[in-house]
Amino acid sequence: MKHALKTATLAVTAASALTLSAGSGWSASDVTADPNAKVDYNGTVTVLTKFGLQVLQPFFVNIAQEYEKLHPGVKVELTQESDDSVKDKTKALVASNTLTDVYFSWTGSWGYNFVRGHRAVDLTPVIGPDTDWGKTLVPAAVEAFKYNGKDYGIPLYLDAKFMGYNKAIFQKLGIAVPQTLEDLEAACDTIKKAGITPISLGNKEAWPVVHYAGQLLAYNVPRATLEQDFDPKTAKFDDPGYVAALQQYKDLSDHCIDGASVNGTSYASAFQQFGNGKSAMYYQEIIEFDQSTAADGGLKQSDFGFFVLPAPKDAKGDTKAVEGAPEGYMINTASKNIPLAIDFMKFVTSKEHGQVLSAPPYGQPSATVGGASEDKMSPAVVQGLVVLKGASYLMPWLDTANSARTANAWLSSLQALAGGTMTPAEVMDKVKEASKAEAK
Amino acid sequence: MQAGGADGFRLRHLLSFRWVAVAVIVLGWFVYYPIVDNFIVSTTNEDIFTGEVTNIGLANYQRLLGDPVVWTALWNNFAYAVISIVFQVFGAFLLAAIIEGLYSERAKRFWRAVYFVPSAISITVTGLLFYFIYQPEIGLLDALLRGLGLDSWVRPWLGDEKTAIYAIIAMSQWQGFGYSTLLFAIAIQKIPREYYDAAVVDGAGPLIRLWNVTFPLTREMTGLMIIVTVTGAFQVFNEVMVMTAGGPNNSSQVLGTWLYQQGFMENDFGYGAAIAAVIFVVTMLTGTAQLIYTRRRRVQF
Repeated sequence: MKHALKTATLAVTAASALTLSAGSGWSASDVTADPNAKVDYNGTVTVLTKFGLQVLQPFFVNIAQEYEKLHPGVKVELTQESDDSVKDKTKALVASNTLTDVYFSWTGSWGYNFVRGHRAVDLTPVIGPDTDWGKTLVPAAVEAFKYNGKDYGIPLYLDAKFMGYNKAIFQKLGIAVPQTLEDLEAACDTIKKAGITPISLGNKEAWPVVHYAGQLLAYNVPRATLEQDFDPKTAKFDDPGYVAALQQYKDLSDHCIDGASVNGTSYASAFQQFGNGKSAMYYQEIIEFDQSTAADGGLKQSDFGFFVLPAPKDAKGDTKAVEGAPEGYMINTASKNIPLAIDFMKFVTSKEHGQVLSAPPYGQPSATVGGASEDKMSPAVVQGLVVLKGASYLMPWLDTANSARTANAWLSSLQALAGGTMTPAEVMDKVKEASKAEAK
Repeated sequence: MQAGGADGFRLRHLLSFRWVAVAVIVLGWFVYYPIVDNFIVSTTNEDIFTGEVTNIGLANYQRLLGDPVVWTALWNNFAYAVISIVFQVFGAFLLAAIIEGLYSERAKRFWRAVYFVPSAISITVTGLLFYFIYQPEIGLLDALLRGLGLDSWVRPWLGDEKTAIYAIIAMSQWQGFGYSTLLFAIAIQKIPREYYDAAVVDGAGPLIRLWNVTFPLTREMTGLMIIVTVTGAFQVFNEVMVMTAGGPNNSSQVLGTWLYQQGFMENDFGYGAAIAAVIFVVTMLTGTAQLIYTRRRRVQF
């Protein structure tokens, strides 16, 4: 234990020293991609992905092998991290100025960090709406990575949060798909009476409850207010919809979730509970649909259904909003061979690769036009995309839309709300306090 | 030509340092420079994304005083130290004395190995193992409590703000106990048999022999183990990261994980460095005090 802390402490100081010396070519100036640049197919492209899960890893491994075969002078070095570890890994690489040529990014404040730090190449001339590459991608997905009027991200897939449910359990108990939050609570009471866990939830990692809160906030707080509050400089967090949304989560938890155990259960354990048919519902991302019905689980693909977490009857915000965002990649301004890095990402986002990505076992709906091929995808993922297209607003994840300190206040306080040690008003006080401190 | 007289002596004296120069440079660069640099970083506000560094004096230390999580973390580190001293120093000492008191050499070897096994398991594996022990739905601990009719004791051990840190500390004792036992066993083996024989002749029973012979003659090892345990408790990191990452609601944060969260999660390396400075001061003071104490009470046979 001593060794690890020493490493962390030394990393903090070493990272600081390296930041001061800026040793690997990063400079605080903008870099814009040149659409006419000739690609030199020699050298190494380093890539940091978020496909560290065993089931997802082969996607980039196979593409890297194909690319190396096409261009024998190129070596693709992959660093594949999981959803939980990619944030820490990215920050460690940024702090030590050793960020990879291509790196994963969420939209919102997370992506903006790279833009304001001049670490993301301005891709507008190569990925903008009128460019050859831009025309092959879903415009709204490219738009999600727009900062200060410029395009910085390469969207790979679309993601959104839905309530997955076990059709067999619903059918057996005579429950219809809930249309309002109140309907959902009533359905939970029926399921509970039958001795089944209505919704399994693991919040040991803290972000799963943040996702519930995000969707409920979109229903209760006007979009303009939400977006104003994402930025600590303009944030107020005084809309009554915030407390109302968190109270709705509490009510939902009382009816549907074993509140006492959520913080002691991991996201993966709860997910497995749903996959094994032991719980009736699980709030999950569209990119996890295919993993819910894995061959070795108890939940059959034909029994898997989903619906958007329903809005409460008296919702004051946008009831057509869906929580989610595209996820993608950025190019490092310090990369020695930017045209090669861009060329590799063009290869990754081709229609053919998009179809592979959208189909099982990956099930990540591609952001490439024609990449989400309905005949190859699971029916649930296809339907999910239809719902996504009809959404009036894509509510970004709270923990990536807000800046770091505020995001962590959301994470820890909502864990307390889920565990019953904080009230909705106390959560908002903590968030407000963190946002104010960050604005200073 | 050789230099002679006082000047020559001084020159030879200076030249003799060349044998340790490399070690001094390596030590200076890898140990002392980071310590000094850490203090410098702790007086700045640094944005890792933009590389901007602002000098803010002692503001980070002021913030430390008003940060409730720092106080929670300090308390958790303190609890870690106290519980670890009880189990990994005094508990391990007692167990080692019992094992070394066995007549059969084979039995001694067997029990030493049994207690040492947990120390050989990686912390990630241990973390996963204990997650399943503490898990509220399928966990062994809650199942055992239910089986014993102690339903009111059932709880999500890692998910409850009141129990999370103690659940981690318990796991840590399980893992570290065997290692300390082995070190105490070695210290006990070094005690000459004559002392025990003389005590037996004087009519001392096992407990009296433990208290008047074994305990005083292993005090150097006890002192060393206390230093290692206390400094280890203030530097604990892996156990908490693997089990709870400081949650729920920061209730199981220790200084090490809070430092990490500030630096790598909240992008505030200056504040992280200020927390590191606190850890350094606490562990250095503890280590120095213990070294002085044990030096005064050195055991010589």
